[in-house]
Amino acid sequence: MITSDFIGQLLHDAIWSGVAALGFAILFNVPTRTLFGCMVCGAAGHVVRSVIMQLGLSMEFATLIGATVVGILGTAFARRWQTPAAVFTVSGVIPLVPGVFAFRTMLGLLTLAGATDPTAGLSALLEVSQNGIKTGLILMAIAAGIAAPTLLFERRKPVV
Amino acid sequence: MVQNNTPKRPLEREELRDVIDLSLWAGQLLLQHGAESERVEETVHRLGTALGCDWMDILVSPNAIIVTTTSADEFRTKTRRVIPIGVNMTIVSAVNRLSRRVENGELDRFTVRSELRRITDAPPHYNRWTVVLVVGLACAAFSRLFDGDWPVFFVTFAASSTAMFVRQELHKQHFNPLLITAVTAFIAGMIASTATVLKLSATPQVALAASVLLLIPGAQLVNAAEDSIKGHMVVGLVRGISGIFVALAIALGLLLAMWMMGIDGL
Repeated sequence: MITSDFIGQLLHDAIWSGVAALGFAILFNVPTRTLFGCMVCGAAGHVVRSVIMQLGLSMEFATLIGATVVGILGTAFARRWQTPAAVFTVSGVIPLVPGVFAFRTMLGLLTLAGATDPTAGLSALLEVSQNGIKTGLILMAIAAGIAAPTLLFERRKPVV
Repeated sequence: MVQNNTPKRPLEREELRDVIDLSLWAGQLLLQHGAESERVEETVHRLGTALGCDWMDILVSPNAIIVTTTSADEFRTKTRRVIPIGVNMTIVSAVNRLSRRVENGELDRFTVRSELRRITDAPPHYNRWTVVLVVGLACAAFSRLFDGDWPVFFVTFAASSTAMFVRQELHKQHFNPLLITAVTAFIAGMIASTATVLKLSATPQVALAASVLLLIPGAQLVNAAEDSIKGHMVVGLVRGISGIFVALAIALGLLLAMWMMGIDGL
């Protein structure tokens, strides 16, 4: 259902993921003229992911589509600003990176090491495996998404 | 790319030495500053063949590049150690553009050398205070994405920008990168805990989760996955495993801070 609430949510999403991508773009020392493009990539990828998750699909699949959008935008911007697409895609996918899942996995590992009774150990083990698998799948989805334009449309005989 | 089937003039050994030196330099810049393996190989190959040699064989490993240049019957091989420095997209972009200009015949090996010198020595676009500010803002933005409220936003901003400052200072002192990460995560965690301890917000745990995101090696993990997908398994695996170690260091620092402040659960 498209309601004004939903649109407000997307706007919220776009603004803050754009800011996050901008911050990391500056950390990655991207050329100044590409900053705006990095911000747009970051916002677009996250908004697309939110919309698809809203439709009830899994986070992993939504990330794949979101990252593909970043990849396509990055390729288009790369032509426009004469720079490698990686400038836009690497900063653009930062809002999609499963940072929280990654360190929940690690926190779980440390809890597991210190668990004394079996029930606590079992729940820590579950936490580690679930978050770990989720982190891996989402990272793979991001990489496949940003590589999609190259893999699908710019196939060339390898030069090396 | 223009296919040119006329045989190239055989290069002298002196010229081959220059070709291998310059293309290895370019490859080193790319690998040091966060390019994926495919791009490194392709750029080195293009640069070397555009500078006049017949063929380039490149082996990219996680911390070294080996290149062999061939011209007629002559060949030379050179290895260079590469220590990753951190993502710098301006350098990646500049080296990429340089290789295209050489392919178009705009530059010869002498001008390539001065261009590479210029790229290596160029100062970063953004001064350290700008970086501190925007990285703090980026992590605070993440706290909004995780449905944190405004108090959490400001606590996260304070925690992350302080952490970024500490990271820069420790980096200057040449501490071990994993140690820097753990200490930085600890400091971010201590500041972010104030949201919980002082009961500043209804969702105080969000500050803890968001404040250490500046340390997550996002670019490295994405490169690891991309390298693996494109068949550069060794580099991909090593990048992935070192990314996992960094995540572990973050967890250690954060856990220590949470334990000291008496917070359990995230």
